[in-house]
Amino acid sequence: MAFPLLSLIVFVPAAGAAVVMFLRSDDLVRWVALGFTVLDLTLAIAMLAGFDTGTSEMQFVEKRPWVPALGITFALGVDGISALFVFLTALLGWISVLASWIAIDRKVKQFMVSLLTMQALMLGVFSALDLFLFYVCWEAMLIPMYLIIGIWGGDGRVYAAFKFFLYTLAGSLLFLIGIIVLYFEGGRTFDILALMELDLPFEVQSWLFFAFLVAFAVKVPMVPLHTWLPDAHVQAPTAGSIILAGVLLKMGAYGFLRFSLPMLPEASVHYSTLMMALSALAIVYGGLLALAQDDLKKLVAYSSISHMGFVTLGIFALNPLGLQGSILQMFNHGVTTGALFLFVGLIYERTHTRSIADYGGLMKVAPVYTGFLALFVLSSMALPGTNAFVGELLVLSGGFAANLALGAVAVLGALLGAAYLLGMYRKVALGPASVGARFKVRDVNGREMVAILPLAVFVFWVGLYPKPFLAIIDSSVTHLLQQVYDKGNGP
Amino acid sequence: MTAVALLPSILASLPEIIVVTGACILLIAGQFVPKGRDAVLVWSSVAIVLLAALGTFTLSGGAQPAYAGMFVADPFSVFFKSVFYLAIVLTFLLSRNYADIEGIGGSEYYVLLLLALSGMMIMASATDLLSIYVGLELMVLCTYVLTGFLRREQRSNEAALKYVILGAVSTGIFLYGVSLVYGLTGTTQLDRMAAAVTGDPLDPGLLLAVVFIVAGLVFKIGAVPFHMWVPDVYEGAPTTITAFMSVGPKAAGFAVILRVFLNPLVAGSNVWIILAVIAVVTMALGSFVALVQDNFKRLLAYSSIAHAGFAIFGIVAGGADGVASVMLYLLIYTFMNLGIFGAVIMMRNGNFSGEVIEDYAGFAKLHPGLALLMLLYLFSLAGIPPTAGFFAKFYVLVALVERGFVLLAVIAVLLSAVAAYFYIRIVMVMFMREPERVFEPALTPLVGAALAVTAAGTVGIGLFPAWFLKLAQQSAFGG
Repeated sequence: MAFPLLSLIVFVPAAGAAVVMFLRSDDLVRWVALGFTVLDLTLAIAMLAGFDTGTSEMQFVEKRPWVPALGITFALGVDGISALFVFLTALLGWISVLASWIAIDRKVKQFMVSLLTMQALMLGVFSALDLFLFYVCWEAMLIPMYLIIGIWGGDGRVYAAFKFFLYTLAGSLLFLIGIIVLYFEGGRTFDILALMELDLPFEVQSWLFFAFLVAFAVKVPMVPLHTWLPDAHVQAPTAGSIILAGVLLKMGAYGFLRFSLPMLPEASVHYSTLMMALSALAIVYGGLLALAQDDLKKLVAYSSISHMGFVTLGIFALNPLGLQGSILQMFNHGVTTGALFLFVGLIYERTHTRSIADYGGLMKVAPVYTGFLALFVLSSMALPGTNAFVGELLVLSGGFAANLALGAVAVLGALLGAAYLLGMYRKVALGPASVGARFKVRDVNGREMVAILPLAVFVFWVGLYPKPFLAIIDSSVTHLLQQVYDKGNGP
Repeated sequence: MTAVALLPSILASLPEIIVVTGACILLIAGQFVPKGRDAVLVWSSVAIVLLAALGTFTLSGGAQPAYAGMFVADPFSVFFKSVFYLAIVLTFLLSRNYADIEGIGGSEYYVLLLLALSGMMIMASATDLLSIYVGLELMVLCTYVLTGFLRREQRSNEAALKYVILGAVSTGIFLYGVSLVYGLTGTTQLDRMAAAVTGDPLDPGLLLAVVFIVAGLVFKIGAVPFHMWVPDVYEGAPTTITAFMSVGPKAAGFAVILRVFLNPLVAGSNVWIILAVIAVVTMALGSFVALVQDNFKRLLAYSSIAHAGFAIFGIVAGGADGVASVMLYLLIYTFMNLGIFGAVIMMRNGNFSGEVIEDYAGFAKLHPGLALLMLLYLFSLAGIPPTAGFFAKFYVLVALVERGFVLLAVIAVLLSAVAAYFYIRIVMVMFMREPERVFEPALTPLVGAALAVTAAGTVGIGLFPAWFLKLAQQSAFGG
């Protein structure tokens, strides 16, 4: 067997968590956690470097028996879609550690253990090739995330943590039954690749589609199952928000790409208009809610709902442009919204308020901070030249091709995005420097800069030269569409 | 029957004989143990159990019928006996210090536990309704007394009295069902019953008999509608006994139910519909009522009702996977439930009872390691992966879906989401509140060892279920 690179990527953070558990000094804990996450990023880069963009086959495949009596294997592998998310997770991992450097000042050890465990499980979700393994990682994530929100969160943390836990748990349980049904339909196997070859009757596909939909729609989240998100985001510590927005939300969309589309193609095609309508609803509704927010974090949270609407819209446009756009947009959203939450966290550490009304004229006090904030705000509203522009353009082209009316609604959402984001920036950064009188706001320091810069690089890189990213996902998208249409609408 | 003809039977039942003999010797010898040397009692009890375990494992291999078909030593019974040994040894370890604190550490305590164990072992091996009855009575008579062991506490006495009265009624119902079966078929042996039936298996007389037997047995595992005793008895009994009862006698009850229900006679009479209803109602009642409990022991009582409901789903599924799933469930439940009870028992120190959930506020801040252990047990009870509790539920669901009971599987998972709420609430109290008191958990080496074993089981089976799954599958009969 080849070098087990993927196992290493998954288990390095887990090993980090185990090591951190035995350390005593808080400073040491922080540095060791940083070390393990940076190592993980290095491994993920090595994985991308060795990734063959010419094929849609799974790469770096590893397979070990786990529970042979039930056909459960420990199987890992990545294709173009998952490779990008493995990289994104590793990228945001060490940034989360940096973002918690001083924001987390009590129970540092427990926090880092939770964070590292979380990262191992997220990487497991994206690289699992066995449904059972996927589900175990998917569900186990609830424990560290529950603790991260519930212990280190804001004043309403207990309520938010509960809501997050129960929503996602209840959503996933039907998914579990769906998995077991698939297991028997596929002749007692949890092998994701084998299950993709199944040709199920339409009725079974429909049931499974909706069982899966609940789980994925809660995670994305799609309106009307989104109400846990604002609570969880507002209460979570900065690192928690970064992970939630950057990685966790992607898992729902990833579930659609990995399971719903290839395994249930007829149902996916049949219900695609419904899904696109729900997505368009999320885009506009999320945007309108964001427009009405005074809390910075809530604003970014609702904007996430709107942006994830674009992602699901692109997926269920079921054409190459839409799919490429939505996968790229998921990566972009991870980078940009992760950065926005980081920025909200940075300013909150200094002022202990998130109310937009408390700010004003920040540009005069913290020019570097507001400069970078402008960059990510512009990226979030998809200004040409930034990463989200490429993604949204592709999604909208795909959306228009699939359904003109819903595409038009989605464009409206893009306009809303400009309204709430620019409005927020104007109130916070421009105008008279009311803030200087009340808070001593220090500008960005070196440690924070290290966390910000890589994200800024990706904003421009994807915005100006998206080709390498599209190359990674290209063959997998083509293959995915073949799976949908060859089975779904074939004779 | 000559002595020589009796020899194979004696060999097959050697573990039971060891336990009973050991208990009798301990009863007499225990009187000579001076006060303050109670450790001797613990270790000799453990030694007796280990000796019996040795006997069980050396004699295992194939089915050995004994006593003219009333008793059998087969892999199925070996599996259950292993669960019992595990449960009782952990109970002994947890009891040592707790019994001192409560002042109940006499030799009778250990003797009664051993005798209850022998009753459970007989139940696991019994293949005749009468030998089932003997085992059952031996077990419950001991647990009646143990429930009332806190002589000076009113609620302990009250619990024991309730338990005796309700238990006696249910045993009576069971016996009545047995007498009906005998009247209709002329035999009480499980495998001869089916052969003796002529005509319609849905004969109303037989159906009535089956319903009576079901009622009597369901009482022992605390399923609805015979669950009323559970919260009171669990709350009133010494916590160590509650811990023991929630896993040992319950597993024994399931062993009997599996044997009786998968008997062709019963299996042919659509009794699974009754069971399916019982399973759904039991799980629903346990989960919803537990939501409003403030007392830790009462909450665990309702949680154990809910878990019994989930395990019954495995019986409903039936077949080789169904039986194996119930067995694996009980094994895993033994680990995680004794773990959480061990933690509660550990908290009993000085004048701190450790029975009120709110009293655990901020426990994680002062004792992060112990709180992490409790978190592990609670998430396992809630069925969150990667703990063993998840795999237990998962396998039951697999068995259900395999038989086409998808709707029941959906109900089961939705109810377990309700149940997750109250486990997570305890985690919340421990981890997300500020401490209001100083905790002095009585973490003696023995309690520590018990917690280590249960934690290892809860994590180990969760991550590497393959071996345990194979064991359960190989021990399951009827497949």
